[in-house]
Amino acid sequence: MSSARESVTVLDDDVLVLRALDRLLQSAGYAVETYSSAGEFLRRCAFDAPGCIVMDLSLPLMSGLDLQHALAMVSDARPLVFISGHGTVPSSVEAMKAGAVDFLTKPVDGEKLLAAVRAALAKDHAAREQRSEQASVTARLCTLTPREREVLAGVVAGKLNKQIAAELGTAEKTIKVHRARMMRKMEVGSLAELVRAWTVTQPPLAA
Amino acid sequence: MDSHAAASGRLAALFERPSWVAPALLVAVGYYLAARLGFALTLKPYPISTLWPPNALLAGALLLAPASAWWWLLAAALPAHLLAELQSGVPTAMVLGWYVSNCSEALIAAALVRAFVPEPLRLDTLRNGGIFLAGAALAAPLVSSFLDAALVRMIGWGETGYWDLVDKRVFSNILAQLTIAPLVLAWAALIARRPAASLARLVEAGALFLGLLGVCLLVFDAPLGAAHPSPAVYYAPLPFLLWAAVRLGPAGTTSALALMTVATIWGAVHGLGPFAAHTPQQTARDMQFFLIAVAVPLLLLAVALEERARAERDSREQRRQLTHLSRVAMLAELSGGIAHELNQPLTAILSNAQAAQHFLANKTAEPELLAEILQDIILADQRAGDVIARLRALFKRGEERFETLDANALVREVLALTHGDLTTRGVELVLRLAPRLPDVRGDRVQLQQLLLNLVVNAAEAMSVIPQQDRLLTVQTLATAGRVHINVVDRGPGFKVAAEKLFEAFYTTKPQGLGLGLSISRSIIKAHGGRLWASNRRGGGAAFLITLPSTRSN
Repeated sequence: MSSARESVTVLDDDVLVLRALDRLLQSAGYAVETYSSAGEFLRRCAFDAPGCIVMDLSLPLMSGLDLQHALAMVSDARPLVFISGHGTVPSSVEAMKAGAVDFLTKPVDGEKLLAAVRAALAKDHAAREQRSEQASVTARLCTLTPREREVLAGVVAGKLNKQIAAELGTAEKTIKVHRARMMRKMEVGSLAELVRAWTVTQPPLAA
Repeated sequence: MDSHAAASGRLAALFERPSWVAPALLVAVGYYLAARLGFALTLKPYPISTLWPPNALLAGALLLAPASAWWWLLAAALPAHLLAELQSGVPTAMVLGWYVSNCSEALIAAALVRAFVPEPLRLDTLRNGGIFLAGAALAAPLVSSFLDAALVRMIGWGETGYWDLVDKRVFSNILAQLTIAPLVLAWAALIARRPAASLARLVEAGALFLGLLGVCLLVFDAPLGAAHPSPAVYYAPLPFLLWAAVRLGPAGTTSALALMTVATIWGAVHGLGPFAAHTPQQTARDMQFFLIAVAVPLLLLAVALEERARAERDSREQRRQLTHLSRVAMLAELSGGIAHELNQPLTAILSNAQAAQHFLANKTAEPELLAEILQDIILADQRAGDVIARLRALFKRGEERFETLDANALVREVLALTHGDLTTRGVELVLRLAPRLPDVRGDRVQLQQLLLNLVVNAAEAMSVIPQQDRLLTVQTLATAGRVHINVVDRGPGFKVAAEKLFEAFYTTKPQGLGLGLSISRSIIKAHGGRLWASNRRGGGAAFLITLPSTRSN
């Protein structure tokens, strides 16, 4: 079981179910926060805290799907696991399309729920790693001078120093100097490392 | 199968048994007793009974039996006939002749009636009543009297002339057909229907018959004083007879008529009462005319009232079946919500149990925690049980049963049942229950279904509007002598005239039967209340129920 006490947030309007899920997740070693309505959750939760959210699809006043959209709007990227007493196909499709990790039907088996929570937390973990790497690369990019950025663009495009010098209308020797300084500032030792760091900052194609 | 057909089926089954012993024995015993009664009601020097019941009893039995059984029943009457008649010192040929003429009257009556009513006769429509009067009470005695008189003359028993005999027979037999045959028919129908007799009804019947007997004894069986009685005394039994017709149905009416008839004739036979003052012939004729004049309108009244009572019974049965049908249809609509209602406690039970297993496996199971878990499991289990109990109560198909009910409790029960459905549909509920509501009288299951229907309709109607606007208001309130239950939604309302909604098979739902609201209205009508619909200003439909309240608060 997880020793790091990862956080799981549970939303269900049924107090008996809420308590039971709370205990189940605590028994698996998670730190659990419980809310019985979307409103209570939105008022009290810390947005974009690490962890994942397990929620009932049919919450009163604001359904699980509505809450999913609301969280997307405030850029809370915590992965969602939906549970539902009456898994209708259209709502499950909508939930999954909007990025839910899993859609489980009540009465939900504990092992399945814990597996979904593990997957959601792994996804959260990976996303957070990626975001922190992105942030660090972006911070390093910000230290480059405009000329060094131009050189970087040429290098990751696979151009030779000579070609870059011709395009920028300067001497190849000058480009070499810029390139060495750029590589140092970007804290990379090879062209391959530079390309990987550059790729991290690029928005994914699908988006 | 409706109750009418079921009762006819039971009636027919009585006679279609492979063993003829029971009905044949019944006819034989009845015939013998009827003959003894006929002898007892004969004015002594006068050779012909004022009322001769055996023929009419036989006719009644034939009218109840399938035609294939008629010969058996007639044969069963022969030993009874011989036993009764041979004691009276009449020549055997004459006794057999009377057997033939008695049977002929019963057969003619049964055949004439059966020609127009092709199944066992029930005196529950005016048409059947008319056919009975014309065929069994008029034509059959008339025709058989000619035959009877001819037989008597052919055998040459007694001195009375042919037309004199016919004249005497006709009215004796008509009176018997009017008194005895309907009695047999009505009691057979009553026994076949097996109604649940309440104590109050039995007490009422007892009081009625005691009163009638008392009046008859005073009027018809008391020694005649010097003064000629006022004609008004003849009317003294009438209130009791009308009482019987209105309250006790055909069986009560025919019994009351029979009681009065026997009391009247018995008095005259013993020289008592207002009819005894004349010659035997005149006395018999006076009594026959008087009793026939009372019996005919009273029988028709009883039949007319029975026709209405039966229509009411039939429509109640129909309502019960339709109610059940639409309940089953509604089960399908509600199944999603019900699954949710059951899945919640099941989820709680499963997750609690699995959490307990983990705690035990981790050796972190505190006794207090385990106790809490078990307590929650019990709570969840009780909740699932409640859901099932409510469902079972709703879908139980039972007799209509009126009881004193609290409208608020009814509303709460129905909303508990629809909670899952409303949640699924994203409908928010506003409940405005009047704190002190007088009780109403009604059938719990029917009223629950009515409310359920309205709530589900309202929730469905709001599926086309945004979720934050889906508001269902259920309200109870009391006005003078009435309790109101209002079910109000925020949906698009209805586009047709409100009355159209309540027509059978009118529906706006793709899978709807279109019976819900028409059944709802018939339920409310049976409760003496009203149900109507109106569009709300600003969108939405309001369904308003009004029920008469009981006095108690």
